[in-house]
Amino acid sequence: MPLVIKDEYPEKLFREDGKRLDGRDLTELRPIKMEVGVINNADGSAYLEWGNNKIFAAVYGPREVHPKHLAKPDRGILRIFYRMATFSVFDRKRPAPGRREKEISMIVSDCLEPILFLELYPGTSFEVFIEVIDADGGTRCASTTVAALALADAGVPMKSLVSAIAVGKIDGKRVVDLSGIEDKAGEADLPIAITWYNEEISLLQFDGDMDLEEMNDFLNLAEEALKKIHQIQLDSLKSKYIAIQEEYSEEKGGKGD
Amino acid sequence: MGNDTKENSFEEVEKTSNDEDEEYEDFEDDEASREIVVPGEVLTEDTKTFMPGRGTIYNKERTKIISLNIGLKQVKRNYINVIPLRGFYTPRPGDKVIALVIDKNPVKYRCDIGAKDFGTLKPKNTIKRSKMGSYRGGGRGSRDRSQNNEESNTSKFDIGDILIVKILSADRLNQPELTTVGKYLGKRNNGVVISIDPPKIPRIIGRNGSMIKMLNNLTNSNIFVTQNGRIWLKGEDLAHERLLIEAIQKIASEAHTVGLTDRMQEFIINEKKKRGLE
Repeated sequence: MPLVIKDEYPEKLFREDGKRLDGRDLTELRPIKMEVGVINNADGSAYLEWGNNKIFAAVYGPREVHPKHLAKPDRGILRIFYRMATFSVFDRKRPAPGRREKEISMIVSDCLEPILFLELYPGTSFEVFIEVIDADGGTRCASTTVAALALADAGVPMKSLVSAIAVGKIDGKRVVDLSGIEDKAGEADLPIAITWYNEEISLLQFDGDMDLEEMNDFLNLAEEALKKIHQIQLDSLKSKYIAIQEEYSEEKGGKGD
Repeated sequence: MGNDTKENSFEEVEKTSNDEDEEYEDFEDDEASREIVVPGEVLTEDTKTFMPGRGTIYNKERTKIISLNIGLKQVKRNYINVIPLRGFYTPRPGDKVIALVIDKNPVKYRCDIGAKDFGTLKPKNTIKRSKMGSYRGGGRGSRDRSQNNEESNTSKFDIGDILIVKILSADRLNQPELTTVGKYLGKRNNGVVISIDPPKIPRIIGRNGSMIKMLNNLTNSNIFVTQNGRIWLKGEDLAHERLLIEAIQKIASEAHTVGLTDRMQEFIINEKKKRGLE
């Protein structure tokens, strides 16, 4: 007899004191931790912890395309493989890629393509494997963020990084960075990704209902949050190298004295 | 053993350092600017005095110069360059690289050279042409003498062999063509091959080969550094080889720091004492 647990959402998404269920303010992000170079055998890799989301990304390439018919003679292709681990969500996730995985793979790929110089690598592919180990809302945004980081770590020439975040409306209030439960029970959510080269929106999806006038407010909210995320991305990329540099510059300074 | 290594010494040091003077010397100098930049970072907004060099571009309005890579910022005259710290190997004609034979058929070998395409090595490029007629076709005599009793032309090397090859031709679209005819080229029967990030190879060589000479002298070993990030090495014994590999990996991980050669010299001398190698 299979155990069936129905999704039950709380009636209110805000606590008595006006904060969200996980204790955040309206525009507060979940704690984010990023790390690069976590997978030795990949050309580039990154790991992201974003609230309860835990995501690995590994980049391989440029390399030959298999199956061969996907290769384009004039340009390279970017292939994203977004997968969720079977234990990443409450009910067991079937390991075969479904509609949702294929869609997210596609949108992440479309989102990252404008910042790469794919025309320099004809007939080849860059492959990014995104493995969601633990999921709690906003994995498409987190995946985009971590995939950009992994590409940068691999040394793929790119115009800029990409950061993504979801903003939305829960219980009539505008909030930033929706968690899993807010995503499901809320009124609207709007994932946004931005390419920092020229600050263009690279991904914009929408689910739920809201006024058109509210849209601008949402975009402004997102912009502030995206800047914070971008800063974390930059720091995580640099920190590995700067740590080594500082270690020896201090040593050298000591000698000089 | 000692004699053997001397006979086999290839003067790699000179060769490898001479090859890439122009392209890679810039990794070494400008100790002042060791600033790490990442893709998308604005390097300067002064587009009148500076121009984008290697690893950089203008933004759309041409008001900023932007980095394309994770690397070190470097200003050279009025060019701004970014020297990458990570990246992949792109074959160029004339490069000497270490290749692994992964497949062969009667007309060619396929070699893994660490690039996006496999290299092709044709048998005619493995045999030095003599003055008496060319190989196949032209010289009837040579064909009778050397080819008749062999079933295929590709019996010189086996799958799994380590070769040092030179790249004859390479472009974006076609597979690179290789040759084993030339100085230092050919099959290696002994030694160890390790690989590091290709952009860090200039650091292993050092300015005018200073680093590699130091490694050579201190560990008394043969090293052949190639542009695809693979390094062939053979030391006196296992302990020396192990030390050398550790040293090379240390160089690779600290490639972006200053005063690396001196520090490595210290490191090797200390480690030698610690391990009782001398």
